[in-house]
Amino acid sequence: METNILEVNQVTKWFFENQVINKLSFKVKGGETFGLLGPNGAGKTTMMRMIMNILQPDEGEILYNGIARNKIKSLHFGYLPEERGLYPRAYVLEMLIYFGTLNNLSRRKAEVEAIRYMDRLGMVDFSDTRINALSKGMQQKIQLIAAFLHNPDVLILDEPFAGLDPINQIALRDILSEYKKENKILIISTHQMEQAEKLCDHICLINQAKVILDGKLSQIKKKYRENAYSIEADNSIAFLHDIKGINIVEENNNSCKFTLSHDNISISKFFEQIKGRVKMRKFEIVEPSLHDIFIKLVQEQTAKS
Amino acid sequence: MRNIFRIARWEFISRFRSRSFLFNTFVSPLLFTAVLTLPIFIFQYQPEVSTKLVGVIDLSDENIGQNLQDELNRYYRLKNRSPEYMILKVSVSNSKPYSRMLKEYREIIARKDSINSLYNQIKDQRTEYYKNTKIPNREYVLRSSYEKLQITREEKELVQIESNRFKTALDSLYRNEAKNMADSLLITEVLNSYLVFTRDFTKNGNMEYHSKNPGDFRETERLEKILHTIIIKKRIINDNVERAKLRKWLNPIHIKKYQLFAEGQKEWNFYLQFYGPLIGVFLLFMAIFTSGGYLFSSVLLEKSNRVIEVLLSYANSRQIMGGKILGLGFLGLVQVLIWFTLTLILIASDIIPAQKINYLTLTNALYFLIYFSLGFLFYGSIFITIGSISPNEYDAQQINQFLRTVAIFPVLLSLIVFTDPNSTLIRTLSYIPFLTPSFMIMRIPLSAVPITMDIYITIIILIISIIGIIFVAGKIFRVATLMQGKRPTLTELIQWMKIS
Repeated sequence: METNILEVNQVTKWFFENQVINKLSFKVKGGETFGLLGPNGAGKTTMMRMIMNILQPDEGEILYNGIARNKIKSLHFGYLPEERGLYPRAYVLEMLIYFGTLNNLSRRKAEVEAIRYMDRLGMVDFSDTRINALSKGMQQKIQLIAAFLHNPDVLILDEPFAGLDPINQIALRDILSEYKKENKILIISTHQMEQAEKLCDHICLINQAKVILDGKLSQIKKKYRENAYSIEADNSIAFLHDIKGINIVEENNNSCKFTLSHDNISISKFFEQIKGRVKMRKFEIVEPSLHDIFIKLVQEQTAKS
Repeated sequence: MRNIFRIARWEFISRFRSRSFLFNTFVSPLLFTAVLTLPIFIFQYQPEVSTKLVGVIDLSDENIGQNLQDELNRYYRLKNRSPEYMILKVSVSNSKPYSRMLKEYREIIARKDSINSLYNQIKDQRTEYYKNTKIPNREYVLRSSYEKLQITREEKELVQIESNRFKTALDSLYRNEAKNMADSLLITEVLNSYLVFTRDFTKNGNMEYHSKNPGDFRETERLEKILHTIIIKKRIINDNVERAKLRKWLNPIHIKKYQLFAEGQKEWNFYLQFYGPLIGVFLLFMAIFTSGGYLFSSVLLEKSNRVIEVLLSYANSRQIMGGKILGLGFLGLVQVLIWFTLTLILIASDIIPAQKINYLTLTNALYFLIYFSLGFLFYGSIFITIGSISPNEYDAQQINQFLRTVAIFPVLLSLIVFTDPNSTLIRTLSYIPFLTPSFMIMRIPLSAVPITMDIYITIIILIISIIGIIFVAGKIFRVATLMQGKRPTLTELIQWMKIS
């Protein structure tokens, strides 16, 4: 299967005197979930609108499989904007069919697909209801369906989990992972770092119109790993304080988080030292959360400028 | 390109099924026609409840009350043939001051009479004395009777003066008392109205009409017409003209009006000629502003609920704008065609007398369609622009209201158009694209000569304006729909047009 690829090269966008995007570049491959993260006003929505061809970049180019974005039909792209909107007086199924046909689906195909997705998200009973009679969460689901009804090759979702209950979050994640398996491109923007962490393979963090972090999630995590461990035991572990080369960061009842200073002790030495002294329940390498990395980087960069 | 049709279809269907479209297509025209024509019917076919009492205060000796009654009976009768008007001479016999004064006046008259007879008696006696020369002491008798006569004459003159003065006072009292009486009868609604005739009303033509509602033109017009005839009759009689001739002279006249057209003459009917085109303008206005209003609210809604962002990700702004104009324009055409069909049905069932209405032609129907389409495109593209730059519905609705007022303004001038549809003022005004459709729809049926040249000119002006506005609208729509918050300044609008 050939790999789809979306490239954003040195894209710059101005709104009159305001530079909202400054020479932004990234690359997304098919089968990859790409997380476009950043604080409010970082330029995420503008970037997504440019990928959707709603706005044109002032400089740079956006390529899909090597072809300029504005030469490609919109039906290859699906979009869930951050600000949700539907026709309040329209009937659910009719509106979904309308959106489907706008992306070149036949009416029949659009109807079948719409019903299929509504069934998966548990709302097939509402197909003949008016939008304004639905709850916020249900409207959100309808909007999601509208975004991927036509099975686009590139799917851009802005805050897809906002307003969904945990069960529907799982249903959505299932749909998205199926989608990923088809080697398609998925771009997600969110403020919920836990969601991004669970879902994304590739992260791009932008702040003040620039990329401040770009890479595979696993690599990023490795890079920001603090060499920290956590241990939990059934008996007291106060003796850890006496072992040389251990810095205790956090300590609770029979559990603690610590780092090893490289010069004095290695992890295997550490195990030798505690052997027989502790009834261990859990031991793990502490990964830095994306949340922490995000805050740290954004604060650092904002302080610099 | 196909997306234009898909958007058009969506806009058309979702509006076509809406209740407001049904209302604007079927109920509003009906309401408007009713509002327009109901007063005419009420005016013409007022239910004649009962005979109306008209009071008369007659300060002359013309016996006008009787004359008025006779004439009114001749012209106005109720359905059961009884007279529609009854004349009531306002009586003051119950008024104490008047009866007291009348009593005094009568006494004076009596005195006057007795002095008169005394005077005549003396005069007779003196004649006797002159004739009879054999009377003893004749000289003395003659002299003493002369003195008597002198005294009596002086007294007679004094009484005469007093009686004249009294008569004037009495008349004025009569007038006041009668008016008081009549007023109270008006208030208690015994009288419908009352008339006051002065002493010399036949000469100076002055009289008064008192009523709770002197604005009732139907009543005043009738009375005026009849009084006019009566007074002229009286004046002519005073000049000693034969009665037979008089009747011939005062025979009433009727004018039948005809209008000349290229294809011949047709009898002219005020209501058909005036209200027909007015209803036409209203329908045109309704059609333009129903579908134009939908265009407007559609842009406004999609902007405010952000559907526009989803739409823009599937279709470009030109397709969205084009689709909306196409779909809603077609909706307007359907509305107009529904009205045409209804008109045809009404003609077929003889409710509309088509043979009497010369402007119900296919050509004019075509003009209606043309001016609707152009008017819709013109106002529609303005609406799209305003809808896309308005930060909120409230601002937008105000501009919408303003445009509606501008477009319906020609109706205010309908009477001027009616008198002369081709006057320089009206022609000039109909070249202003905002006013063109309304004015032309009135002018085409009203003008006696074909105004083909003006039709061509206005169509060209409209088309040019539409092209200009759509060009601007397209550019602004593209940028403005994604903006939110404040209303853009003029400079910003110009910038937007440059960048897009």
